[in-house]
Amino acid sequence: MESLEEKVVAVIIVGGPAEGTRFRPLSFNTPKPLLPLAGRPMVHHPISACKKIPNLAQIFLIGFYEGKEFALYVSSISNELQVPVRYLKEDKPHGSAGSLYYFQDQIMEDSPSHIFLLNCDVCCNFPLPNMLDAQKRYGGMGTLLVIKVSAESANQFGELVADPITKELLHYTEKPETFVSDLINCGVYIFTPKIFDAIEDVYMRQEDRANVHHVTSFEALQITARSPPTDFVRLDQDILSPLAGKRQLYTYETMDFWEQIKTPGISIKCSALYLAQFRIASPDLLAKGDGTKNATVVGDVCIHPSAKVHPTAKIGPNVSISANVRVSPGVRLINCIILDDVEIDENAVVMHSIVGWKSSIGKWSRVQADGDYNKKLGITILGEAVTVEDEVVVINSIVLPNKSLNESVQDEIIL
Amino acid sequence: MKALILVGGFGTRLRPLTLSYPKPLVDFANKPMILHQIEALEAIGVTEVVLAISYQPEGMLNFLKEFEKKLGIKITCSQETEPLGTAGPLALARDYLVDGSGEPFFVLNSDVISEYPLKQMIEFHKSHGGEASIMVTKVDEPSKYGVVVMEESTGQVERFVEKPKLFVGNKINAGIYLLDPSALDRIELRPTSIEKEVFPKIAKEKKLYAMVLPGFWMDIGQPRDYITGLRLYLDSLKKKSSPKLSFGPHIIGNVLVDESATIGEGCLIGPDVAIGPRCVVESGVRLSRCTVMRGVRIKKHACISSSIIGWHSTVGQWARVENMTILGEDVHVGDEIYTNGGVVLPHKEIKSSILKPEIVM
Repeated sequence: MESLEEKVVAVIIVGGPAEGTRFRPLSFNTPKPLLPLAGRPMVHHPISACKKIPNLAQIFLIGFYEGKEFALYVSSISNELQVPVRYLKEDKPHGSAGSLYYFQDQIMEDSPSHIFLLNCDVCCNFPLPNMLDAQKRYGGMGTLLVIKVSAESANQFGELVADPITKELLHYTEKPETFVSDLINCGVYIFTPKIFDAIEDVYMRQEDRANVHHVTSFEALQITARSPPTDFVRLDQDILSPLAGKRQLYTYETMDFWEQIKTPGISIKCSALYLAQFRIASPDLLAKGDGTKNATVVGDVCIHPSAKVHPTAKIGPNVSISANVRVSPGVRLINCIILDDVEIDENAVVMHSIVGWKSSIGKWSRVQADGDYNKKLGITILGEAVTVEDEVVVINSIVLPNKSLNESVQDEIIL
Repeated sequence: MKALILVGGFGTRLRPLTLSYPKPLVDFANKPMILHQIEALEAIGVTEVVLAISYQPEGMLNFLKEFEKKLGIKITCSQETEPLGTAGPLALARDYLVDGSGEPFFVLNSDVISEYPLKQMIEFHKSHGGEASIMVTKVDEPSKYGVVVMEESTGQVERFVEKPKLFVGNKINAGIYLLDPSALDRIELRPTSIEKEVFPKIAKEKKLYAMVLPGFWMDIGQPRDYITGLRLYLDSLKKKSSPKLSFGPHIIGNVLVDESATIGEGCLIGPDVAIGPRCVVESGVRLSRCTVMRGVRIKKHACISSSIIGWHSTVGQWARVENMTILGEDVHVGDEIYTNGGVVLPHKEIKSSILKPEIVM
């Protein structure tokens, strides 16, 4: 019989500014976890998934960003979702497992029976209550969320082998050169407090290694090549790999969508995935319209209530419009993310692009890209406060903040 | 005496350097750009400088207070809330510039580096008795700019011609003006161009005179011109036999090295190089036609030419950096890497060679 005291906490790793360079120019002013996907900040999606966990006591965000960048967000989301959310700032990198250990006291404050660990840059439907049930059935130290991907793309991630019947994690290897398996690690985990013992073991072994004085020159090369600084414990190489096959770790496979939000291009794709999820789970979050009272809406579109969209505009599929945006008559938007305070003038077209806060798009101008998320310039990105003048065409380009484009550009990065 | 410096906005042409510091504070020849102008103004007795800005970045005020204390000159900011063009900012700063004394005031353009013969300009202004004086400079390709057509002997300006297709003259507006307070009466507080609206009016009344700038002139608002500008600036130091230039068996041509920088054995530095405070240049390094900003480390055997290395960056051993490579703040080029015209944004590591000019975000 479940004790009513069995609390659960969730830890979301949000990272820090050093990893934000791939999200430039959007990350110049805004930490990546707060960039919007489907109308809500990136980190909102795992946080609201955590809300579904029974007996959730607290949510912790762990990262390197300055506290003040998250302070506003954390207090507003705590209020909105009625669950305590705390931001814990690391002083230096400890590795994904090391960070967990570093904040052990805070995490174990409510003596939780289970701890979820999620990566902020993962886009999926977070089947957390199912994972909790599965973990209780398996009874091991932890359970990983896994998914099958195409054989070619598998080597970008952590590949793993699981027993088809017991679901035990048998083998784990990070970004292998040769094919190991098409089952990969999603970056969402649930652990019992035993994880802290496992991490502590790794620290002890690191200390022992540091105490060894006499090594052959060959061993010394091996050690420096493969071991990171002490005080650094990675979840994948230091915990999952060694514990695979020891009846400690299990897997839970998701058949739903999964993406890693590595670039702004992929964030458009992820925005679309979340919008599709809204269509099933919370359809009133999506916009509707047929051109009479409201703009024509095609496919999944979300429009912030404060945005003004003219009824003659046609929006979608896969469009997110943020707060205070003004969309003028005759505008066409396809597969794009429009951030706060943007003004889009008459008859403009925006496709496969992200338009930064406070930008303005002129009459009859076109901001577009070919939409290939894997190419560096496959999505057009306009930074904050960019002006595209009337009739100008911007194709497959990235424009840094505060620029004014009065001539068409193609395949360029504009500093 | 007062002066106004047109600073403008985001300095996007000097990115990636201006992603770390506002343009006036980007170093040129080991000194913040705006300090070159403020010092020249202070030297001829200007007591108050107004910076006409369109955006005030955090931290700029602190720098300005420091300069104020060190130089004993008052520095104020006049910030426009909407773009006012090249003349509007003067109207906005009117109250700072007009003090009832009737003295003329200087207007400088913050992107310009030159000899600043301001004393001669004051004498020229007094001698012709007109309302406004402008500096002009001779260029090889006048059609790229706005040409000032003037009467050669008196300097009286007849007209301005923007990017002329046929040759009308080879003197262009150097962006240095000396104006009587009455000139302010001609400028309304709205987006106004000083070249297109204000000066032509004054020229029509035969009250505008131009003086040919003796010495060098350069608009260093973009990286290519910044590098050329350094050559001209160091050349002028040489002409003045300035003690700031370095000498030694490892120095070729004009080289400026901050006293806190260290240079290793077997290096060859120059021509036209500026090395900033606390830089470490290890042994066997070749530097030519480049700027190395504060706190940079150049590792052994590296070779850098025609490039700008941003603050606190490092260039690896045997690396070769050339052809207008611009490294932003805190960029680390790995050992043995080659970069040909790479423009690298701040806080990046370059672990593979950049073979063709490319922007690395």
